[in-house]
Amino acid sequence: MKATVSTKTVAPILLIEDELSVIAFLRAALQRKGYEVVHATSGSEGLERLSGGTFGGVISDIRMPGAVNGADVHAWIQAHRPELRERIILISGDTANSETQALLAQSGTPCIEKPFRVQQLISIVEKTFGKP
Amino acid sequence: MPEAKRKLRNRVSTVRSSSGTESAAAQRAADLMALAVEAAQSRHLPDFLHRFAERSVQMLRAAWGGVAVFRGRETELHVAGEIESADSASGMNWLLERAREPRSGIEIAPLDPPPPASLKGATPMVSAVLVPIAASDGERLGTLCLLMDRKAISTDEVHLLEALASHAALSLENFRRFSQLERSKRQWVEDIDAISDYIVVHDRAWKIVRTNRSLASHLGVPPVALVGEAMGTLRQIAETGSALPCPFCKDTEQAREEYVAASAERIFLVSTSRTPGLSDDDTRTIHVLKDITDRREAERRYRELFDSIQEGLFFATPDGRFLDVNDAMVRMLGYTSREELLRADVSTHLYPAPEARERFLGALAERGVLRNYEETLRRQDGTLLHTLQNITAVRDARGRIVQIRGLMLDVTEQKTFQSQLQRERDFNQKILNTTQSMILVLDTAGLISYANRRCYEAGYQEEELIGHRLVVWVDPSHQEDFEAALETTANGQQVENIELRVRRSDGSMGHFSISLSPMRDEQNAVNSIVVVMTDITDATLLQAKLAHSERMATIGRLVSGVAHEVNNPLAAILGFTDLLLENPEVPASAREDLGIILQETQRTKDIVQDLLSFARQRPVQRELVQVNQVLRQTIKLRSYDFASHGVEVQEDFEDALAPALGDAQQLQQVFLNILNNAYDAVQEAKQRGRIHISTRRMEDIIEVAISDNGPGIAQPERVFDPFYTTKHPGKGTGLGLSICYGIVRAHGGEIQCANNDDGGSTFVVRVPVATEATVRSAAAKEAGR
Repeated sequence: MKATVSTKTVAPILLIEDELSVIAFLRAALQRKGYEVVHATSGSEGLERLSGGTFGGVISDIRMPGAVNGADVHAWIQAHRPELRERIILISGDTANSETQALLAQSGTPCIEKPFRVQQLISIVEKTFGKP
Repeated sequence: MPEAKRKLRNRVSTVRSSSGTESAAAQRAADLMALAVEAAQSRHLPDFLHRFAERSVQMLRAAWGGVAVFRGRETELHVAGEIESADSASGMNWLLERAREPRSGIEIAPLDPPPPASLKGATPMVSAVLVPIAASDGERLGTLCLLMDRKAISTDEVHLLEALASHAALSLENFRRFSQLERSKRQWVEDIDAISDYIVVHDRAWKIVRTNRSLASHLGVPPVALVGEAMGTLRQIAETGSALPCPFCKDTEQAREEYVAASAERIFLVSTSRTPGLSDDDTRTIHVLKDITDRREAERRYRELFDSIQEGLFFATPDGRFLDVNDAMVRMLGYTSREELLRADVSTHLYPAPEARERFLGALAERGVLRNYEETLRRQDGTLLHTLQNITAVRDARGRIVQIRGLMLDVTEQKTFQSQLQRERDFNQKILNTTQSMILVLDTAGLISYANRRCYEAGYQEEELIGHRLVVWVDPSHQEDFEAALETTANGQQVENIELRVRRSDGSMGHFSISLSPMRDEQNAVNSIVVVMTDITDATLLQAKLAHSERMATIGRLVSGVAHEVNNPLAAILGFTDLLLENPEVPASAREDLGIILQETQRTKDIVQDLLSFARQRPVQRELVQVNQVLRQTIKLRSYDFASHGVEVQEDFEDALAPALGDAQQLQQVFLNILNNAYDAVQEAKQRGRIHISTRRMEDIIEVAISDNGPGIAQPERVFDPFYTTKHPGKGTGLGLSICYGIVRAHGGEIQCANNDDGGSTFVVRVPVATEATVRSAAAKEAGR
């Protein structure tokens, strides 16, 4: 189990999400559980942060305005941050998009569908990134 | 004659005076000689025979004598001296009978019984001597008859009689030859005179020697009158332009000449023969003038007709040469002159293909006469000439064709026109027969007089169309419209594309687009109406389907967008509500309110989820689905409700239905949704609820039809729209059928809803049959995922 191999990490979780109310909720929920959170409000900002820092995990919305979406972030990590390959959680507003479906099916990356309950979120985060 | 008779008597008396055998022999020789001289000198046969008879009597000292000469069956008797008795005939007849008897030698017949009184002379007669006279070739010419006063004659007398007989024979023969010659000469002149052609003979001095009667009568004179005249006098008959004194001589060196000479009125063919004589004087020139005016005229007329006639006329040999052709023929075949066409080889120049010539000759050999024989020939410039020919074969004694005579008509124009007409007719016929529209012709009374092939292909029978009113096929509610359209057309106005419901041959109603056009006669009066009907039922349906699926797609995109947008705030609301509820500082009263927020947020989330499941094409499990089985399970889910509310469910499932390819769970959701709808609908009906469910395979489709006898649906085409509901508010989200729609579409099938004619509504779900092909392609998609 991924959860058991996790070591106590101090590295923050990078949150990539364009919706401010969702960022506020996620930050509150994660910080309450002891996670440090850094956020970016677009895909491109997310990639900037990723290339300039070290993170314990990445939570990214799939559908975002701008040139870089969640799938692109996922692909970038696969290519440039091998240590984060297994530490990505995607959030989707809807899974109707066939590209999204293909991405999820191929990589086995965990995904939470909006809206979700706090318990759902924490359970997936702890499972993927380990407890803080 | 009396003088000659006297002479003869004198001579007889002289002979009688002589005596003695010596002198008798000498006298006989002298008498015979005198007889020969007389024969030679005599020009008149009867005179000679008379004298011969007298001399014979004298020389033989007979009492009476005569010569019987045979002329065919007649016998002429030439006697010596006059018959004294008036009753001579019987005596003569007796003698003639005896004379005609065949005999080869001299006979001495005793006159016993005595001869008739007429033959009795001064001296008593006791015997008749009959001597045959025969020609050198043995032909019997006659008999010398002598009556004697003694019963026997001496040998000398026998010799004398024989000598006399041969004298007579010789003389008779000579006379006969001479008279034959005379007769034939006379005949010849008559023959020449009988000839209608003009004949003239002239000598070297250009003097007329003879003419025949025809020529003389042309000039109005007897033939004799022209003898000795100059040939120049005949110039009035015909002028030949000859400079010679004879108008008919051209080249006197030629033994024969022949040419045509003409006068103002007559045309003659002049044939000339020259007979070179032994001397110049004997040279004769014979001209025969044949009047050929009529023949020439006939020929000229014939030629004129031949050339002026507008039909081609020709004479040809079987091996393909023209002997003669007329101007029309030359013109038809595009040759510049008759001579050029006469040089052409018929088989190779006129026939585009040698087989056609073979066929023509074969037909002619077989039938001898060809009437209205159609033949395509080639003009000189290579273009084709369509001809109609009437041909006669001329055969020789052995039956071989030696000449072909024919008349030829140029029917190219008619042929072209005809073939154009034919092509046009074929073209129109093809259009009429291949068009997908039904075309009918009605008379002004609305009765069908023609229906194109399409009508019969559509299943209508000829006997139910022709002669019947077309309006009976129109839906009763539309008949008035149709009649109005007919009237408009009958008044001369076109009616375009009216859409009416028309009964098909199988009894079903179809949606037809109908156009009516008036057809006019020569007087411009409308005499019939052309009706073009096109079944646009499928097109209408397809159009409706297209419009519907387009609308559904638009709704789907809208819903998807809305759901996504709603999910973000919903996520925050739900999340913060959770966080608040987890916060121990929040008082219990607020916690209660937060519970309500949580509950409503949850409901909102469900609605959005439903919306999304309509819009999103959720991946379909592709597996073999036994549709009948799925339906039975679905019915079972609601069987308690059906039973308790008295709803009858009729299952009409096709046996051994092929499996469909799809997701059994999703399909069950679809069927359940429809059943729920039906259940709700029949609850509203005033009669016992009935739900009829049928399945059947249609080619590669499995069709499930679920009908109810409820009140029907106000807008069946809108039932799949999200939030379209007929139910009471709060009873459903209005998304159930929208989700069904999404599922069936994801299966590659279709779902439809329509109201039944007898009330209630029917939902039809069509999903693809799991064929080998569809299973394989589904597996491929699965692998590619």
